[in-house]
Amino acid sequence: MNVYITDGTEECFYTAVFNACTDRDCVVTSSHTVQLSLGASVTAVRTDRQKCERVRNKLTEYAPHSLRDVSVILRRGSSDKEQVALEYIRLIVQKKSPVGGMLSHPAVIAARDEMKKVTLEAHRFKGFLRFMEAQGGIYYAPFAPDNDILEMILPHFIARLKNQPFIIHDTLRGKAALYNTKECVVAATGEKVDVPLSECEAHFQALWKEYYAAVNIASRPHEKQMKNYMPVRYWKFMPEKRG
Amino acid sequence: MIDAERLKILTESAKYDVSCSSSGSGRKNTKGGIGNADAAGICHSFTPDGRCISLLKILLSNRCCYNCLYCPNRAEADVPRASATPDEICQLVMAFYKRNYIEGLFLSSAVEGSPDSTMERLLDTVIRLRKIYRFNGYIHLKGIPLADRSLISRAGLYADRMSFNVELPSERSLRLLAPQKSKEGVLMPMKQLAAEKKAVGEEKGKHRHVFLPAGQTTQLIVGASPESDGQILKLSQAMYRRFSLKRVYFSSYIPVVRHSLLPDKCAGLLREHRLYQADWLMRFYGFSAEEIAGKGENLPEEYDPKCAWALRHMQYFPVEVNAAPLEALLRVPGIGNLGAYKIVRARKYAKLDFDDLAKMRIVLKRAKHFITCGGKFFGSENVNTVKTMLALEDKGPRYEQLSLFSTPETSLSALTGQL
Ligand code: SF4
Repeated sequence: MNVYITDGTEECFYTAVFNACTDRDCVVTSSHTVQLSLGASVTAVRTDRQKCERVRNKLTEYAPHSLRDVSVILRRGSSDKEQVALEYIRLIVQKKSPVGGMLSHPAVIAARDEMKKVTLEAHRFKGFLRFMEAQGGIYYAPFAPDNDILEMILPHFIARLKNQPFIIHDTLRGKAALYNTKECVVAATGEKVDVPLSECEAHFQALWKEYYAAVNIASRPHEKQMKNYMPVRYWKFMPEKRG
Repeated sequence: MIDAERLKILTESAKYDVSCSSSGSGRKNTKGGIGNADAAGICHSFTPDGRCISLLKILLSNRCCYNCLYCPNRAEADVPRASATPDEICQLVMAFYKRNYIEGLFLSSAVEGSPDSTMERLLDTVIRLRKIYRFNGYIHLKGIPLADRSLISRAGLYADRMSFNVELPSERSLRLLAPQKSKEGVLMPMKQLAAEKKAVGEEKGKHRHVFLPAGQTTQLIVGASPESDGQILKLSQAMYRRFSLKRVYFSSYIPVVRHSLLPDKCAGLLREHRLYQADWLMRFYGFSAEEIAGKGENLPEEYDPKCAWALRHMQYFPVEVNAAPLEALLRVPGIGNLGAYKIVRARKYAKLDFDDLAKMRIVLKRAKHFITCGGKFFGSENVNTVKTMLALEDKGPRYEQLSLFSTPETSLSALTGQL
């Protein structure tokens, strides 16, 4: 069995697909903790622009939206994401057409599940992200999502807060989007950055906590539902839940 | 800037309005502006009662000159009073919005002074937000019944959504429990706004107005007065049709006030939940109010209204999953909107059997009694056995979990799967 290890980029994944697509008994992964079975032969894939482009062109020809789908799947924070994407691509290549409607096919079910987890989290963070006003009027929002969604939520915040300079920081993946009201760049960062807050920040956080406490109907507790909709692991950066 | 004390009073007075939705508007940001609206709505937080926070829900004032019996802010009540200035509200909205705490504002007020002066202050707040603060986020404005027509019209040009709450499902109950209000006083402005929205919608050309892009909603209190579910559903249906309402919210009565004319117990969440299920059937499943419950009837407690309907109409079942039209699939208990669409899409590619349905996460526990897959039937033929099984199915805490007592937008689609 062949195991193709990629560097985690889309280009490298498509390069691997070039061979893996017809290699029935193989695994593609970017995970370094993959369990190797006996007799597996491991290939570390190096990005090859030509191969990558050829795969992309074929896919676009068969199924115009497939590149977007694959890109969403590859943002999953799970170790078998490449394998799910590969099975999905294999089906497209086999059918030579879009397969999104084949809702009872295992490869499509798996692909849709992964996509949904990513898009759901991206949707949630449109709401759960919390900015703090830093000195100098820049707004800083740290978060640690399960999936790699920073680039997916950026357009939303740029459209909404277009006159407000901000930083959105994925502390888990060590990268941040820096927006200065004109342009936006994504840069690598450390896990922690020191951001001195503005004078009024503590005051507004206190008002928000006051509001949060007052709007709750205490005679109808339903903590389970709260936690279902707003998982505890997201609370770390939310002033109303930080105590 | 508003202080914590007043914020608390004005929030606690506003929180029993169940609507917190921020959906239905696609308002765009403007040059030099801040904010926009997301058509699907966004939840920003959840409180320990399981409800979503989307908007800053607050009163401009809780100093009321009316005396609605069920209301903690009624004139005679001995409660702490407070009010905020329009500018204080604007500043708070901006500070919260910039930090991404909220989608926008849900502003309401007790009737302080007169309906006109109250409506004027509400309008002033909204115009300030839009014009001075250049705020393009979501605004839901509660209308004050009996305020001047022109004030109400103008509000429609700045708000995304407006609501006049009917509260009590009949004129009689209204007269008894809210003596200064009348059904006409609430329905008139709803009618006016619906007509004006329609007129604006027909405008042509470049400078068309935006008028209540997210439409109107209303709220009915359930369990404070004796009306039956059938009556409540019929009223809802009439309002959906006549005023093109986006939503009717049901709020199960919470006794915050003791009075001999009022029940002293909370109306059960189950009743509220059943009404929401029935409401979904009317809006998304092609049912009419009359099909769901007769005029004096209440919805059954044991199972959801779709099950109840199906059990009364066993002659239409079972339907064949691989052939039945969408409308018939939508009427199968246990198959939701999403499920029905999935089936219709998937069966174009492959014939579906029970395994396929399970893989597609279509819950078969209830549905199996009402469908066949490729001619196969796995349900029970005996209606009484089916009834017992469905009732058992519905037991447990599920209704609570699903209570639409302000359910976040994102979970609504999941909910359709349950009917
Ligand atoms: S008008 Fe009636 S419901 Fe509204 S605040 Fe006054 S007393 Fe309460």
